[in-house]
Amino acid sequence: MIGEIAHFLSLSAVLLLSLVLIFNLAFFFTKIHPNQLILSMRLFNQACWLVFISFGIYVYLAISDDFSIAYIASHSNSQLPIFYKVTSIWSAHEGSMFLWIVFLTAWSILFINSLDKSHPLKKLTLLMLSVIILGFLLFLLLTSNPFERIMPFGALEGADINPVLQDPALAIHPPMLYLGYVGFVISFSFITAYLLNGDFELKWEQDIRNWSFVAWIFLTIGITLGSWWAYYELGWGGYWFWDPVENVALMPWLAATAFMHSLFAASKSNVLKTWTMFLGILIFALSLFGAFIVRSGIIDSVHSFANDPERGLYLLSFSGLITLLALTIFAYRLPALNSSKLVVTGSKESFLSMNNILMITSIFSIFLGVTYPLIIESISGEKVSIGPPYYNTIFAPLILIAAAFIMISVDALWQRSMPLKALLITIFAPTMLSLLSLYLIWQVTNIFSILAYIGIFSGSLILCSYLTRTINNFFNKKFINKGSAIAHIGLGLLFFAVSMNSILSYEKNLNLAPGQSISINDSVREFSFNDIRVFKASNHDVISAQVSLLQDGREISLNPQKRKYATRGQITSESAIHASVLKDTYLTIGDQLDNGTWTFSLKINYFIKWIWFSAALMVLGMLLTIFKKKAS
Amino acid sequence: MLQVRKNRLWKLITILFLSAGGISLILFSLNSKLDLFYTPSEMLQADIKSGYRIKLGGMVKNGSIKRDGTIIRFLVTDFIKEVPVTFEGVPPDLFKEDSGVVILGYFLNGMFEAEEIFAKHDENYMPPELAIDEAKV
Repeated sequence: MIGEIAHFLSLSAVLLLSLVLIFNLAFFFTKIHPNQLILSMRLFNQACWLVFISFGIYVYLAISDDFSIAYIASHSNSQLPIFYKVTSIWSAHEGSMFLWIVFLTAWSILFINSLDKSHPLKKLTLLMLSVIILGFLLFLLLTSNPFERIMPFGALEGADINPVLQDPALAIHPPMLYLGYVGFVISFSFITAYLLNGDFELKWEQDIRNWSFVAWIFLTIGITLGSWWAYYELGWGGYWFWDPVENVALMPWLAATAFMHSLFAASKSNVLKTWTMFLGILIFALSLFGAFIVRSGIIDSVHSFANDPERGLYLLSFSGLITLLALTIFAYRLPALNSSKLVVTGSKESFLSMNNILMITSIFSIFLGVTYPLIIESISGEKVSIGPPYYNTIFAPLILIAAAFIMISVDALWQRSMPLKALLITIFAPTMLSLLSLYLIWQVTNIFSILAYIGIFSGSLILCSYLTRTINNFFNKKFINKGSAIAHIGLGLLFFAVSMNSILSYEKNLNLAPGQSISINDSVREFSFNDIRVFKASNHDVISAQVSLLQDGREISLNPQKRKYATRGQITSESAIHASVLKDTYLTIGDQLDNGTWTFSLKINYFIKWIWFSAALMVLGMLLTIFKKKAS
Repeated sequence: MLQVRKNRLWKLITILFLSAGGISLILFSLNSKLDLFYTPSEMLQADIKSGYRIKLGGMVKNGSIKRDGTIIRFLVTDFIKEVPVTFEGVPPDLFKEDSGVVILGYFLNGMFEAEEIFAKHDENYMPPELAIDEAKV
């Protein structure tokens, strides 16, 4: 019964949103009549609240184990802690789509109510937002209804959440990611509304600036958490796999990063305005493309949900339609948009434009990598997949060029060209320092890899240029943009850490009997497999190995585990990780052989924590930027 | 020609050249970095150059997993043909007999040397080709 109420509420939301739509369309060509806007705002707010309440009830149903609802029955279990009962809602397609819509609605209601009553774009933005929410609500209710009942009798017990998903990082990763994805609905709707409205004297940058920045933060945290979870819980031992689903998250992120940069240029020097608008539309379009790729099952990926052509078709047509709509309006207004085309060579905005081009190139390359297998398959019927080698080759040169431009632009000024002498002075110290660090790394490690060395060089270029700049400023008592500096140091660190990780990390496969110990190399002098224990935990059986390592003169004890879950009979591995500043010692236990010995996989991962730390720096830099602007 | 137009023409030519160069670089990179996907029957028929990395998808044959130290040997089947596979290391948790796998590696002298084994989050996963084949049977 309660389930039906929730279902009914979301259906009512559809009705109210349709009313808002009809209302707005009917008054589209008329001037704003105050009552009309007030009424449609009221309807819109009520519709949003209906969606929230409906989701709230759904959460209640999940907590109270209502297994007559098909989705809850197949993804939750009465034995689960309440925390995981709630997170089980977004462990598969229907529920996660519901959450996606709730966030979409939340961003929309917050943004539209923050706009002043007399804001000239309020009516059109409201229209765009209602169209988008309505489209996705219909998608949810028509093709993937989370409220569907098992008729005539419900299940007595739920089928349980997949054990690998019972993890705090995974519980937060999808919500963060979705908050990021859908947050760009604001820039999308607002820019489309601006273009529709046609009054180009109006300032629009400030209104969506911080909203987009916050969405960017969520997106960054979401992607980072996903990578972290894959590393320590899935036992994959890596942080990024260039899987199609990871790629479709990276594309909006790159577009959003480009958008933020050109937004700066647009608000500082009146250039790149048109371009910024295009990016603002592109981010959300790419988010929608991502939703399509993940939820249609068209691409075979570890993340993909069950294959369902009907859902894919709906998502593709709806996303295609609103993207096409926005781009058509954009193209139609393009000749009238007066953006200053005068970009001074050597000015800050010229370097920003260059970096924008690079980011678009990366997005295009990833897009090609994601869609190429589909194209090939439909033409020749051959099945292909594109892995890390493609992306590494593409990204190495792009990263190098980007790093070079970041280095130069540190000292560049808005709207003013940079004298050649100043340019040479700027690039001299970082280049020399980076070359020196490359040489040192080569001397110490004796490993040479062209791609990794490009990455290390690019990373240190950025790091060193900010370092020398900070020292310089300290003595000259000059001002440095803290937010930007921290975020870019994060980026430099990321390039550096990823490349160092790729050349230094190694893996050893071992086969030992309990009580046996062996020496591996100069760093891991002794690997002793002391004991193995079997015991019962709340909802699973545990096999736990006691291993001690003598690594770099220190004794480390590690307990990798294998768990067998009662309800699904599924086995999961819990890797044991010992972290030090430079490297992680990552141990996974394999299977027992007939002769009683066990297999282990020992991975030594260098600089891996630095990768997540660098993402944290980027987020911190962004936060500083937001708060600095708010203060002034 | 007007100077402005001349400049514009040059700009256009430069952009065209640069993007053509970029796209051909990307396509070149794509072609040498593709992993072709085969089922066991397809792989045994196809003429695969040695040193060419491919993906093999199928089911792990029941009773075929043999362990020898850290090396695992097993047969991958599509219920028509089967291919022997060797892998060194710890396979993913969902790797077991009678379930679907995708393997990345090299095919050499009738033996598939696996570099990486992928098993899905989903325990009911089956490579799409096989799911179609089974439905036909």
